[in-house]
Amino acid sequence: MNPLLDSVAQAIMACNRKAAKVATQAALDASLDAETVLAALMRGMEDVGQRFKANRIFVPEVLVAARAMKTSLGLLEPHLVASGVQATHKIVICTVEGDLHDIGKNLVAMMLQGANFEVIDLGTNVSARVVIDAAIEQKADLIGLSSLLTTTMPAMRDTVARIKDSAFNGPVMVGGAPVTERFAAEIAADGYSPSAAYAVDLACRLVAA
Amino acid sequence: MISSIAPSTARMTKREIITAVLQGQQPDYTPWSFRFTQEPEAHLCQHFGCEPEDLLAHTGCHILELGSPIGFFEDIGNNRFRDVFGVVWDRSQDKDIGLPENQLLAEPEDLGNYTLPDPCDPRFFADIKRRTERYPDRFRLFTLGFSLFERAWTLRGMEDLLMDFIEEPDFVHALFEKIADYNIAQVKEALKYDIDAVYYGDDWGQQRGLIMGYDRWKEFIYPQLQRMYGVVKDAGRFQFIHSCGDVDELFPDLIDIGLNCFNPFQPEAMDVYEIHRDYRDRLSFWGGLSTQSTLPYESAATVRAESRKLLEMGRAGSFIFSPSHSVESDVPFKNILAFIEEAHAQPAAAGQI
Repeated sequence: MNPLLDSVAQAIMACNRKAAKVATQAALDASLDAETVLAALMRGMEDVGQRFKANRIFVPEVLVAARAMKTSLGLLEPHLVASGVQATHKIVICTVEGDLHDIGKNLVAMMLQGANFEVIDLGTNVSARVVIDAAIEQKADLIGLSSLLTTTMPAMRDTVARIKDSAFNGPVMVGGAPVTERFAAEIAADGYSPSAAYAVDLACRLVAA
Repeated sequence: MISSIAPSTARMTKREIITAVLQGQQPDYTPWSFRFTQEPEAHLCQHFGCEPEDLLAHTGCHILELGSPIGFFEDIGNNRFRDVFGVVWDRSQDKDIGLPENQLLAEPEDLGNYTLPDPCDPRFFADIKRRTERYPDRFRLFTLGFSLFERAWTLRGMEDLLMDFIEEPDFVHALFEKIADYNIAQVKEALKYDIDAVYYGDDWGQQRGLIMGYDRWKEFIYPQLQRMYGVVKDAGRFQFIHSCGDVDELFPDLIDIGLNCFNPFQPEAMDVYEIHRDYRDRLSFWGGLSTQSTLPYESAATVRAESRKLLEMGRAGSFIFSPSHSVESDVPFKNILAFIEEAHAQPAAAGQI
């Protein structure tokens, strides 16, 4: 691999924001193809995701790596647009109505961006109507819903039911501390992830199906 | 600590029973102490025909919680409440605590200009005398919530604080030290009263594993806990901690620095029976009844069966029965009555209701 691209990937793996910015700029200054720089960033984030799943690194590292990725993507974006490179898939993501807790949802959003998903983050406390309208309007491939509280799990059930009754035909994935595989199956969600680390794999599987 | 049979609980006060259980003695029955969020508490008061202050007399809870675990708030309108630290909490959804809306420490440099409020605010201690006189037979627990990591993220923001562990370690150490100093000052004041234990609340866990990982917990949080627990141990009182989530990997360290009792003991995050068996000679547990699945979603019969199993486990000592969180508004009322009745139905507890 080109040493400049390797530096990009290594900076993400090392969870070093400054190094990622410097390495990305250096790769662009050397006129490397924007898509190959993006691939290097994604390789770095994939490594971060693998280590997170294996409990070798934790939320602080993932947050810093994701911010590093975001900074680099900011530098890269004009070049990607100029080259006509687009995100692989688009996801609409939020916490369900009544739930303001968003760190899990934010982690999933960051990790999906690292896997070249375009993430439409609707934030917290989002009604079923707003989710459905955004997913249809944005032509999303997938919806992701999060709930931290048992008291907001009924809203998750209701939101999934209303999505299934709507004109949006894509899959819905769910997660959050009290959410279980059994509950996800019960409410007819298409996928459940027990943690942010597995959510990327799940999203890729659902959009590939 | 070697388990031994406690003297007959019929002659003991609730305060003495909890003390015996924390010392590893086997009680005649498993003591209990429950917590409720606003709606279930109101429902229970209606059920028993009492005021919130009198609820303890009806539930028979063994622990009298003193102090003000989440501090004092000023209603600033629009479901927003400002605490004495300056944090504005959005209670539009969660009516009991809420979520911080502002970021007092926008940059690490802001710490130098930030002054914590008075840790010895008289309001923390104002009701100790009155409440201990009202319930003289209960175990007296001085509670201090948002005690370190949580206080830090309410001031700095969760995501920024987590990244600071990596990018601004000196700031995190300084912030934690400042918060621990505040806690220690408040606890030293509390120890002037006839209390039995100090309870810190600080969530470190996720459903699986620690938020920040063990190494960072040990580097940043443990040294401050060591100082905080040390003050309580030196005064000869018991030390409690509340941390939600999957944190049992920390038990050996926490025991080393003097922890006596762990709450909330969530069955979804850890195998409560296995952990109790493995640690009960060194650590007691308070909680155990599933609030994520059983209480909101299962039948009263299932609640009773799970309660009886936990109460039986507690006969070995080192256990205080309770739901593993303050009971939320989504729990059917018949399920609330079910676990209360099961605790009361223990034959040897008859004189304690």
